[in-house]
Amino acid sequence: MNVLILGGTGMLGPYVARELAPAHNLRITDVNPPEDDLPGEFLHLDVADLDGVVAAAEGMDAIVNLSVLRRDRRIAWDVSTRGCYNMMQAAVAHNIRRVINTGPHYTVAGPNVTECFDYDIGPDIPPQSGTNIYAITKSMGLEICRVFTQHHDINVQTYLFYNFKDPEAIQPGDHYAPFVISWENAAEVFTLGLDIELNALPSNCEVFYVFADMPHGKFTNEKTKRILGFQPRQDVEILWK
Amino acid sequence: MRILITSASHDRSAALADHLAGGHEIRLTERTHVETEHEFVLSALGHDRSTNLLTRDIDAIVHSVEPQPGEDASAQLDAATRGTYNLLMAAAEEGVSQVILLSTLELMAAYPHVYRVRETWRPLPDTQPPTLSIHLAEQISREFAREGSLGIKILRLGDVSNKTVADAVSEALAQPVPLAASCRSNESTAPHTLSITHVGERPQ
Repeated sequence: MNVLILGGTGMLGPYVARELAPAHNLRITDVNPPEDDLPGEFLHLDVADLDGVVAAAEGMDAIVNLSVLRRDRRIAWDVSTRGCYNMMQAAVAHNIRRVINTGPHYTVAGPNVTECFDYDIGPDIPPQSGTNIYAITKSMGLEICRVFTQHHDINVQTYLFYNFKDPEAIQPGDHYAPFVISWENAAEVFTLGLDIELNALPSNCEVFYVFADMPHGKFTNEKTKRILGFQPRQDVEILWK
Repeated sequence: MRILITSASHDRSAALADHLAGGHEIRLTERTHVETEHEFVLSALGHDRSTNLLTRDIDAIVHSVEPQPGEDASAQLDAATRGTYNLLMAAAEEGVSQVILLSTLELMAAYPHVYRVRETWRPLPDTQPPTLSIHLAEQISREFAREGSLGIKILRLGDVSNKTVADAVSEALAQPVPLAASCRSNESTAPHTLSITHVGERPQ
C-alpha cells in the first residue's frame, strides 16, 4: 500500500515509519527534516498548505496524519484543524478511502469528563474537548473528519493517545498519566489500521483509545483490542509494579 | 450597553450596527479597514493582546464569520475557527457577559422538509465553507459555554431580512444571559450558558 504520512518526523513518526516500512511504500512529509535513517520518500510540507497536501497525496492508498503542535496558538489551528481539512480535501481529490488521524485523549474527553471520579471512560462519548488549545484544535479536526465521512466514501480511524513512554527510561515510582503506551507498541496499531478491511469497522468514523492495559481502569482500550485486534505489550508495567 | 460587532465589512453587520446604535455604544471590527461612522477597530482576531484590548469594557459581542474576498476554502475555515477561538478566549478573560453568534439555518437544511426541526437537533453541515466554518464556530462556542466562562446565544438565521436579524439580536440582548456567566479569572465554575434560537424558515 502507498501510504502518505503527514507530520512524519515528529516524536511518534519515526516509530510509525519503521513499523510500516517493511510492508508499505511510504511518503513522509513534515516541516522538519527527517532523521538520517528514516525509511521512505521525504517531502518538506506544511499541512496548512492545501495545494501541497493535495499534491503529496497523489498516488496514495492511505493517509496517516501524525502532525501535531500543542501550544502555539496560531500554529495549533494551522496543524490540527486546517491540516485535517486539507487532508480530507486531499482524500476526496484522490479517492483515498482510508485515513488514520491522531490526537490526544482530550480530543473527546476534556475537563468535564472526570478522571477523578469515573472509570471505563471510552472513546465514543460525545466529544467535549474544553477550550485547551491542543484539545480543541484536535477536536475541531476530528469534527471535520466526521463531517467529510458523512458526505464522502472515506473511512477515518482516529487514534487517541495520552502519554508515551520509553520502557528503558522508566524508573520505578515514576509519575504516569491515566493511560500510557510505549512508542513501539503505539506504532503497531497503525499496521492494524492499514490492514483491517474497511467494512469490518462499525462506521466510517471511528475513534480508538490506544494504550497498554492499565490496572486502575480509568479509561478503556477494549474497543481497540476488539475491533482492531490490538495487543498491548506489557512493557510499561514497571510504572505500577 | 457597549456592543462589539465583528465582520464589519458585511452588509448585515453594518445594518445591525445602525440599528443598535440608537440605544447602545457600538464598536465594529474587521480584518481589513472598513469606512463607517461608528467606532472601528482593525483586528485580525489574533491570539495577541490586541484582541483582549478589542473586547475590554465590552458588554456583549455579536459575532459572525464571513469570508474576505479572494479567500480560498481552507483560509476561510482557518479564519473562522481560529478567529472565533481567539475572540471568545479574550472575551472570557475580559469578563464580557454574553456573546451572540450569528449562525445559519443552512446547518439544518439536510433534514427532510416535512420535519419540524428543533434547535436541539444535530446540525448537518456540508464539507465546505460557509456552513462548515459556521458549524465549527458553533462547536467552539459550545466549549466556552460548557466551561461556563461565557454566556453564548446562537441565532441560526434563515433567509431573513437585516431588519429581522436586528430585531432578533435586540431581543437576545434584552434577555438575561441564560445563567450567570463568570469571568475566566473567577475560578468558580458557572453552569452551562448556551442557548440556540432558530430565526426564520430553514432552507430546503
